[in-house]
Amino acid sequence: MQRRGFLKRAGMLATGIAAGGLPYGIARLTAPPGQHDPRRHVRLPGALKDEAAFAAACIGCGLCGEVCPPRCIRFHRSDGGGALNTPYIDPQRKACILCGKCMEVCPTEALSVTPRDEIDMGIAQIDRSACYPWVDQGICGACVSICPLGERAIGFKMWNQYRPVVKKACVGCGLCVEVCPHPSLPIRIVERSQGTVTRHSI
Amino acid sequence: MTTANQKPSFPWRHLNKLRWLTLSVVMAMLVLLPFVHVYQTYVAAHAYDLLAPAEKRLYDVMETLTSPFTGDPAADLDAIKGTVWSGNLFGLKLSDPLAWLGQAAAGLELYWPMLVTVLIPVAATLVFGRFFCGWICPATLLYELNSNLRAWLHWLGFKTGNRRFDRRFKYLVLAVGLVLSALTGSVLVAAVYPPAIIGRELYYAVALGGFGAGTLFFVLTLLFDLLVARRGFCRYLCPGGALYSLLGRYRLVRIQRVVEDCNDCAKCNAVCEFGLDPLRDGFGQECNNCTACIAVCPTDALAFRLRVTDAPYQGPGHLGRQYRKQQAKKAA
Repeated sequence: MQRRGFLKRAGMLATGIAAGGLPYGIARLTAPPGQHDPRRHVRLPGALKDEAAFAAACIGCGLCGEVCPPRCIRFHRSDGGGALNTPYIDPQRKACILCGKCMEVCPTEALSVTPRDEIDMGIAQIDRSACYPWVDQGICGACVSICPLGERAIGFKMWNQYRPVVKKACVGCGLCVEVCPHPSLPIRIVERSQGTVTRHSI
Repeated sequence: MTTANQKPSFPWRHLNKLRWLTLSVVMAMLVLLPFVHVYQTYVAAHAYDLLAPAEKRLYDVMETLTSPFTGDPAADLDAIKGTVWSGNLFGLKLSDPLAWLGQAAAGLELYWPMLVTVLIPVAATLVFGRFFCGWICPATLLYELNSNLRAWLHWLGFKTGNRRFDRRFKYLVLAVGLVLSALTGSVLVAAVYPPAIIGRELYYAVALGGFGAGTLFFVLTLLFDLLVARRGFCRYLCPGGALYSLLGRYRLVRIQRVVEDCNDCAKCNAVCEFGLDPLRDGFGQECNNCTACIAVCPTDALAFRLRVTDAPYQGPGHLGRQYRKQQAKKAA
């Protein structure tokens, strides 16, 4: 009799877990295919660098999103891009303005208050085989004029005024990605170790 | 009958109305705050002319609502932010104890600044027990409305199951949730905890467009309550409720039966959402001090008392028939 009770209870537990997980599975299966490349998502300013540590620290309260003035912070819901309800920024749609409100409001150690120059969300990388000025298809300079850090982070190559070059002080806020007029987005935010120059020549 | 005239004058029975007011205010705030945030982003963008007509309408409404309180919406309206899971109240950071516990389990380390944010909720729980469940939790409002719907459906003749399970099941859910959080390295308990779900789903729906999977989960819990067990999720499954029950086991403020005034009508047992047994002094750690039994008691025989434990069964109420029979037997 006792064993049957135990089996019944275990069955109930299994059913409960399955029923609890069902909505997440359904939402995952019915999620629309993302038009936006998850490889271009970045974590927030001041976020823990280690992805696993960040997922463990974040409680998914959404406070960072709720104070963000440009509303650039999004949350992993059913896209499968990261731990559920953790925040990210898709600079292609809306980029961070480095105001620092999210770092101040975060109740956990997921985001820690960092001075603006020491933020490390990555670094901008320019595909010189696509960027308009770099392939001599006109003059642009949108990325240079929008950059909140100014000359220290991005500037023009000396001998051609309109070819942008990313410098070491870039913190990876992604405003340049947001304003880039080229449809293939030759500028993107990557890990600092990957460097600032690339040639994809697709 | 003399005792009935010596009632304490404090209107305990109206606390339930205050509770409904509190629940409604919390829910209204949770709905309003995402709109406030959207309005703030419009203000910060300095581009009223570029807004779509619907956005302009939202801007105007929010401006009308908030202008009495602030001259600088982009900065001042940050004073109240967040949800009941974790929030900011005029510079005071508050978090759900379960958030801290879940995070500690997921990261396998303690983060002390966050512990500070849960001190006030924990202290309040140690005094008032599971009051969060009855007085603040936004899910409770919906679950109680769901209970009313259930009563109406029952009255109309629909079958609404009322199965009873083991109350201790939710402690298992809490333990399993924390262990799974530790194993997966993310705060999994947040995904099955209705107040956290409601807060962020409302934010997602208003500010980011579209509900997430949490809404589906919450609807499932509503159906569970409706078709399987009355208030079943709170009573048997909620991990946060389990944590609050444990913290509030030796709460100071608890409802007790005044046996001299009780007439054994059992309305308290019928009205108790958590299926407790106030009539026989059976409150226990699950009681969330919701005061529904106080409000319904016709003889004001239930009141708040400062005790650390429940009174043992005090026998039948002195105004009841059973007690009179006992007395008659004794006299004979």
